[in-house]
Amino acid sequence: MAEVVGVYATSHTPVMLNFPDAISEADRKEIFEAFRMLGDELRALRPDVVVIISDDHVHNFFLNNLPAFCIGITDSYRTPVEHWLKAEKRVLNGHGSLGAFLLTAALNEGFDPAFSMELTLDHGVLTPLELAGIAGQVTVVPILVNCVQPPLPTMKRALQWGKFLSDALRDFAEDLRIAVLATGGLSHDISTPRMGMVNEEFDRGFLDRLAAGNDDELIDYATLHVDEAGNGAEEIRTWLMAHGAAGGTFEKIYYKPMPGWYTGIGLGRWTLQEKA
Amino acid sequence: MTRNWRHPVPAPDCYAMSRILYDIHHHENALARYKADPDEYMASSPLSPRLKAAIRNNDIGAMYLEGVNPLLLRAHCLGLKIPESEFVASLKAIEHIVNKESGHG
Repeated sequence: MAEVVGVYATSHTPVMLNFPDAISEADRKEIFEAFRMLGDELRALRPDVVVIISDDHVHNFFLNNLPAFCIGITDSYRTPVEHWLKAEKRVLNGHGSLGAFLLTAALNEGFDPAFSMELTLDHGVLTPLELAGIAGQVTVVPILVNCVQPPLPTMKRALQWGKFLSDALRDFAEDLRIAVLATGGLSHDISTPRMGMVNEEFDRGFLDRLAAGNDDELIDYATLHVDEAGNGAEEIRTWLMAHGAAGGTFEKIYYKPMPGWYTGIGLGRWTLQEKA
Repeated sequence: MTRNWRHPVPAPDCYAMSRILYDIHHHENALARYKADPDEYMASSPLSPRLKAAIRNNDIGAMYLEGVNPLLLRAHCLGLKIPESEFVASLKAIEHIVNKESGHG
């Protein structure tokens, strides 16, 4: 049976690659080092697959057909889709059979994801992998949640999805070592008059509630306060999915508000709870 | 309270504007065709002249107010290499409208 060996979450922003110098050298070194250490830690777990929970930034999906949740079920993914992203073009290996298993299990459990056999992944997936130094080194299963175009799935639904993944990943029949990496958030506002606003209070409150372990309070906080943290903060749904998937204790690795990158930069891990 | 989104569900004009921005940055040669002649590129769109002008003039603030998807606005800025200062200034210029709608000002 498969084993979940690690669950992590990080912020992402294309600015990390396109305009890294928009913040001080000291901050940049500190953040890049935090990502590199997370990559070293993840690599040391020897995962056969990394399930990456992120969002599509209106590239693969448009308003003519925009799934709330989509699972990639194929064996390779081109990246990046953005012609303007300053990143090496790559083809990431995919684990189609795990993606297909999760798709089927989700439908059986009352979730209704879309699926795709042709995704060109964007900066949401690629930037954390690049900064962590593991892009092209890990096999991935992308799970994309709509955080970019209302109406959005609820925060509560994101956590429910995570709890579903917690069981489904461990039910996969192959002896795989699976890591989960959620990417998105924290507070930021994209293309609004508040752009550049980072809500440190919201971010720290969210991280504190992830660590506190009271799911009802966590969901209430995320639901009631996300409008204070910007449209990019809607991506905390990915952290909630990781939280549910881990079923363990959250620990902040790093946090700093970085208005020069328009984003609250956070990294975290969960201490896993072994399933009986 | 300021909300994260202009509309709870996109309106038809917002769809048509978003469609133009999406196509420019995802279809082969579309960016070059758009840059060569924006009016010709948008000729078949059902949008009003006012909304086409907002796109042609890179009036990011006006496009935001119409509810164009903000991720597409960001991609448009980066794809067209609109200077970051111009992009942010166009959004700041309509802050008072948004604040008034939100009861902040």
